[in-house]
Amino acid sequence: MYTPPTTSTRGRVRLNVGGRVFETTAATLAAAGRDTMLGAMVDASWNSGVHDDPAPAEYFIDRDPSCFAVLLDLLRTGDLHVPPGLPEATLYREALYYGLLDRVRSARLGGFDPDRLRLASSVHGRSPGDGVAIRAAPDGGCCVSHGGASGVVRVYNWMLQERRPVYYPSHAPVNDAAYLDASTLLLAARERPGRRDDDGGVSSFSALTGETRHRFRVAHDRQPRSFTATALAFDGGCDVFASCKGRINEYGVAVWDCNTGEQTGFFYEPPGCALGEADRLQWLDGTNTLMVATMFPRTDSSFVSLLDFRDKSVVWSWSDVGTPASLEDKHAVDAVATEDGRSVCLVNQYDDLGFLDLRKNAASSGGVRWRSRSKLATMSGGKTKTKKAACGEETCYPKLAAHGGRLFASTGDAISVFSGPDHVMTSTLRCSNGGAICDFSIGGDRLFALHGEENVFDVWETPPPPII
Amino acid sequence: MMNGQKKRGPRIEPFRHRVETDPKFFDKSWKKLHDAIREIYNHNASGLSFEELYRTAYNMVLHKLGPKLYEKLTENMKEHLEEMRTCVEAAQGGLFLEELERKWNDHNKALTMIRDILMYMDRTYIPTNKKTPVFDLGLELWRDTIVRSPMIHGRLLDTLLELIHRERTGEVINRCLMRTTTKMLMTLGSSVYQDDFERPFLEVSASFYSGESQQFIDCYSCGDYLKLAERRLSEESERVSQYMDVKTNEKITAVVVKEMLSNHMQRLILMENSGLVNMLVEDRYEDLTRMYTLFNYVPDGLTTIRSVMMSHIKDTGKSLVTDPERLKDPVDFVQRLLNEKDKFDNIINVSFNSDKSFLNALNSSFEHFINLNNRSPEFISLFVDDKLRKGVKEANEDVLETVLDKVMMLFRYLQEKDLFEKYYKQHLAKRLISGKAASDDSERSMLVKLKTECGYQFTSKLEGMFNDLKTSQDTTQGFYASASDLADYPTISVQILTTGSWPTQPCSTCNLPPEILAVSERFRSYYLGTHNGRRLTWQTNMGNADIKTTFGNGSKHELNVSTYQMCILMLFNSSDVLTYREIEQATAIPAVDLKRCLQSLALMKGKQVLRKEPMSRDIADDDSFSVNDKFTSKLFKVKIGTVSAQKETDPEKLETRQRVEEDRKPQIEAAIVRIMKSRRVLDHNSIMTEVTKQLQPRFLPNPVVIKKRIESLIEREFLERDKTDRKMYRYLA
Repeated sequence: MYTPPTTSTRGRVRLNVGGRVFETTAATLAAAGRDTMLGAMVDASWNSGVHDDPAPAEYFIDRDPSCFAVLLDLLRTGDLHVPPGLPEATLYREALYYGLLDRVRSARLGGFDPDRLRLASSVHGRSPGDGVAIRAAPDGGCCVSHGGASGVVRVYNWMLQERRPVYYPSHAPVNDAAYLDASTLLLAARERPGRRDDDGGVSSFSALTGETRHRFRVAHDRQPRSFTATALAFDGGCDVFASCKGRINEYGVAVWDCNTGEQTGFFYEPPGCALGEADRLQWLDGTNTLMVATMFPRTDSSFVSLLDFRDKSVVWSWSDVGTPASLEDKHAVDAVATEDGRSVCLVNQYDDLGFLDLRKNAASSGGVRWRSRSKLATMSGGKTKTKKAACGEETCYPKLAAHGGRLFASTGDAISVFSGPDHVMTSTLRCSNGGAICDFSIGGDRLFALHGEENVFDVWETPPPPII
Repeated sequence: MMNGQKKRGPRIEPFRHRVETDPKFFDKSWKKLHDAIREIYNHNASGLSFEELYRTAYNMVLHKLGPKLYEKLTENMKEHLEEMRTCVEAAQGGLFLEELERKWNDHNKALTMIRDILMYMDRTYIPTNKKTPVFDLGLELWRDTIVRSPMIHGRLLDTLLELIHRERTGEVINRCLMRTTTKMLMTLGSSVYQDDFERPFLEVSASFYSGESQQFIDCYSCGDYLKLAERRLSEESERVSQYMDVKTNEKITAVVVKEMLSNHMQRLILMENSGLVNMLVEDRYEDLTRMYTLFNYVPDGLTTIRSVMMSHIKDTGKSLVTDPERLKDPVDFVQRLLNEKDKFDNIINVSFNSDKSFLNALNSSFEHFINLNNRSPEFISLFVDDKLRKGVKEANEDVLETVLDKVMMLFRYLQEKDLFEKYYKQHLAKRLISGKAASDDSERSMLVKLKTECGYQFTSKLEGMFNDLKTSQDTTQGFYASASDLADYPTISVQILTTGSWPTQPCSTCNLPPEILAVSERFRSYYLGTHNGRRLTWQTNMGNADIKTTFGNGSKHELNVSTYQMCILMLFNSSDVLTYREIEQATAIPAVDLKRCLQSLALMKGKQVLRKEPMSRDIADDDSFSVNDKFTSKLFKVKIGTVSAQKETDPEKLETRQRVEEDRKPQIEAAIVRIMKSRRVLDHNSIMTEVTKQLQPRFLPNPVVIKKRIESLIEREFLERDKTDRKMYRYLA
């Protein structure tokens, strides 16, 4: 006899996971997406014979119930709540089984808020040399480039599990790294004298497997030459830029197509600008220009230029060549363009912030507006000095970053966050071990800070927002 | 051994738990999946447990059996597809596409489920090993096993092309089936769609339309052929929108355009009795619109249409302006030009989308042929004269205004604008003096038009003429107010013309009759009394008079005659018969004018005021004249042939031309001096181009004349030749 399904049971699903019974609705499971295990399981194509069954559909899943409880909760609420005692690695493994790892990731790392950062973990590396550069991946992972002659870059996924490291071909030392996307890593390497012709340069790698994807070669007069690449950037399209110094002193910025690896241009260094051994390249979306910053102490003076590749012109440039020595010998040691594209923020070796107005001609704007001598981190001033002395000046110069409308500056063993139009310091991130911060990077909803000593980097995250 | 492994254990990735490997593990697991896939392909999946299958595949990947699993899966899917291929191959005739569609749907459904089972492999094994994901693998296999299999590949293409051909010849086909089939090809990748369907489709279409166009161009008129082409183009677009990729639209349009239009462009446009020229002649707006729209697709299409149109306008224009018949009636001549212009303006506006380049072509053609006839400036001025005289008849001033605007268009085409000015001045003078100017407003509006076109300089003298007339009226009034005894004399109206503003005429004063002479002298003394340091000469050749006459038969008439004629007639107040010589002596009118006056008084039919003896046409010295006592006329007022503005006779034409040439000399010199003054040193060729450029708005100077002017300036020491380079001129301050 036919009994019509009652409202109480229609769409209900009963799941027996490893012996524990969960009851939920098909809609909740389908919301996970057709490309997940649970979504497929309740999809019509797998349930063709059970249309008329009035009883709730029942499935058996041979997995651990405690993890499933967390994931079902995630599907129901969108929040990830991991009860104490449940190892994260186990949860991630189960999430991967159900095809929910991306969901867990976005729930875990949701929303980067510079004002509410908390130290999530410190990761210890295992490389022989100290780390020199760290880069955040768009998905929350990161990579750490190590100095010395190894040319090794350690790659971590967003779960901070270490992947296969990337070795630059013939172990050339790596100067800069950049994530083209979550699975593609770009590296810029130094050419070493006396090596064969294709030493150094720029290459892209699979961040998943460490395999080389493309070698980005530079040709002068149609002759491929080996070169040293110091800094990297890419635009929103498919152009990759690198500051290059060729073996026969060809200085400039090279451009490649990131999909094919073919060189599409070369911007030769004009007099008065330093382009070939830059410390930082930054693509400015608003003006379609590339900022090239070459800083003390790599060169005796500091240079900042904006290049327009459409007509191969230098649209703006600044340098401190010829600045009177009376200014206590202040040297800009890092530069970053603010996100509105209106100014470039500089920092000198005394941790002072300075600004250059991009809307005015560099010559007429009166140069850098240095902020009044306010030590960024007055509390730790003395301590920093000693640390600096201990680990060598070079690794501990301050670094800058712009993200989410804030400016970030590393000073000593802390990172200061500046907010608002006047760049007022609003918070300080400090972790006591590991010594001075030699590099940091923001991306994938995380901030990574690399310490100059002890091979350790800190991961700062935004905790979930309060319930009300 | 086991111990060694255990020690390393914790350092291995956390969830790779080592299990006792069952040697049959893979085979058992694979069998499970293998059977399930078979059930799925057999539409019998309801008994399968998704969870179990998923877990099986998961375990295989976890045990590093990914490569083997992938390989087996590929093999297995291939087998299923080969079975399907046999079915499709066996399908007869029209069922072929239907069977293919059914199998494609089956495969798609199965593939989705297979992908579900192997989802874990898709997420882990595939990206790290650069393999094709399961779903895409299924599509690739379908492509290679079925779509590109030797038995199906050609048959599929032939079937599709055959159906399209049948649709082109008017049959109704199953478009839905076509759509699913092409959609399948697109799903397999744009290259599959392009290689396996689009390219051959375009090739077949090209040969179809090539054949069709060959067939039709021989028996269709241009207009009908274009209609067909238009219909074919819209059919193809519609076909693409129904069952092909949107991007194909552009390509098939290009094919049809090339085969039907580009390849026959010259033949179509120049087609006898129905081509472009015929359409233009017959004002076939619809056909012209179609031609314009269609050839817009063709490279150089519009350029060709434009140049054919241009040469047509030039040809018809040339035959118009050089036809001696047409030269007889200047007003008709200009009216025809205007009609021609209107016609093409309409065509361009209605059919050619007001295309700027076509308008330019029209203008340059007109400019070309109007200047082929050097009497065009004169005729245009005559036309204006005609319109402004008859202005009143054309009751509506707005109509007149538009006519004048159109005439200005023609004026713009003239190269010798100074010649027009000359004629216009003459004609205007005659209109003003004889009081025939119909409407002051229209005259002034014409002046404003000329002013905006050519600038202040061009019209300042013309404006002076108007002012003269106005002041003359005031002066005459003042004259009559100044003395009371003037009522006894004949009334005169004097028009004082400033020398220079008016077209100069050789001044030959005749002897005025004493009555007139007396009042004229009174006026002279009045005028010179009020204006110091002026000279007043009577232009007796330009005036006219009204005379009250009583003939012998008693009939009374008022005769409207010229001043010369008045002088002659007044003589007959005192004598009855006068010989030509006597008249000549008494009046001192120049012989040519006198003869003409006498002819119009004695020989004009119906207006024979005088009788000539003998009654021959030519006038000899001894011919005698007397008043025609038998003069009759229905009208009280009789107008005796005042010579109105007419087109010039040949000697007059020559004279005007000479005068114009003479007037150009100072203008050319002025231009040379202006240029040299600013440039100081310049070579010969540059002077030539600069002078030509400066004077272009008024006329096209003759290089020989410029050269002569330069030489004259050198003689007068305005310029000198450079001592080393003879081609350089130097300005002397």
